[in-house]
Amino acid sequence: MSPAATGRTGAEAPAPPATMREALNRALDEALAEDPATLVFGEDVGRLGGVFRVTDGLQQRYGEHRVFDTPLAEAAIAGMAVGLAMNGWRPVPELQFDGFAYPALDQIVNQIARMNYRSRGRAPMPVTVRVPSFGGIRAPEHHGESLEAVFAHVPGLKVAAPSDAPDAYRMLLQSIRSDDPVVFLEPKARYWDRGPGPSGPEAPGPEAPGELPVGASRVVRSGRHATLVAWGAMVHRCLRAAELAAEDGVDLEVVDLRWLKPIDAAGLAESVRRTRRAVVVHEAPLTAGLGGEVSALITEGAFSRLAAPVQRVAGFDVPYPAGPLEPQYLPTLDRILSAVQRTFGA
Amino acid sequence: MTHPEETTFHLPDLGEGLVEATVLEWLVRPGDRVERNGPLVEVETTKSAAEIPSPHAGVVARLHAEEGETVAVGAPLVTFEVAAQDAAGIVGTVPTEEAPRRRVRLRPPEDE
Repeated sequence: MSPAATGRTGAEAPAPPATMREALNRALDEALAEDPATLVFGEDVGRLGGVFRVTDGLQQRYGEHRVFDTPLAEAAIAGMAVGLAMNGWRPVPELQFDGFAYPALDQIVNQIARMNYRSRGRAPMPVTVRVPSFGGIRAPEHHGESLEAVFAHVPGLKVAAPSDAPDAYRMLLQSIRSDDPVVFLEPKARYWDRGPGPSGPEAPGPEAPGELPVGASRVVRSGRHATLVAWGAMVHRCLRAAELAAEDGVDLEVVDLRWLKPIDAAGLAESVRRTRRAVVVHEAPLTAGLGGEVSALITEGAFSRLAAPVQRVAGFDVPYPAGPLEPQYLPTLDRILSAVQRTFGA
Repeated sequence: MTHPEETTFHLPDLGEGLVEATVLEWLVRPGDRVERNGPLVEVETTKSAAEIPSPHAGVVARLHAEEGETVAVGAPLVTFEVAAQDAAGIVGTVPTEEAPRRRVRLRPPEDE
């Protein structure tokens, strides 16, 4: 166990900025430490420490009653969370890959999302379902999917998708501390990224003044000619696109949506009312993707100021392709830049 | 999580019901740096000779068989020293940051 992985670095040397998976590990560590009701479980999360090492060392530290391996049965993992939450626990189950979330949908949609409503508030579901999500690591089938629109469509769920390490740390703690169920989509392609600046105990925590509330977006790059809206790994790609656009004298704003339910409609409108143009970028297939919802919210909130229809850049309407075809499937810098140009009317 | 860690590669099942293979020639030596899918070792079975590519990127720490020695399927073949980051992803690969490539050029809007 390296010091960086434990979050206990001592005084000797300043720790390098944490990778996203280290930042998530620290958030889980803190959640387990602060509340004895917190439980972490899923496929390979215990003894192995997770296939992406996000739960590395937690079973050794908190014991196999609080951090434990489950059978390969996602419906059982989510169903277990329901029973545990009803009995006062604070479950943080992991569904190992997005493509394996489908068997758990019945429990998530019919039980986790509805229990608080059904019980008239007597059985809240403080459950955070972690799902390593989206593409970009050239994994085989079922190991790269973008399910955000599926979850965001379900009343009763909150949906989070962080884009960098410090924000992942803060948003995961915020989700676990929430008494509402949260589906927490972790961008696999950014797990190894060190993000901008420190994460963990030395960084401002969720209780720090100025912390963004659940549902808030943030402007990660200010600009005046158009707004790019993205979440998860596509935020990074939009920032790259904005750098390229700057070479041409085009000044792009980038909004990290962060929360996909609830969506920060006011924040989107505020940005687009200034820039007058918007492009939504996501990995999921275009049709009935979350880009449609974001586009509608922008149109409703900034219609009188819009200089062009809101553009969407998305995955294609095909099953998520095998690894070698990912670069063709995921929104490319050129597709993003072309969409920006379309908002300029050319 | 950047400290190197060791991982051992065992002789894979070569198919056709074969249970062992003979090391014909090592294409790496201890201390060599190898790329994933780079040439590792040439082995011979009763059916054919085959080159086995490296399953990892890393440094060769130890070879577990001499040339001419017969190794059972599942027995240790090579131990690598790999960066923990590379070893951690069991499925998929760690994405690499490539220099941005573009063809599309932009013209700023005329109404500003």
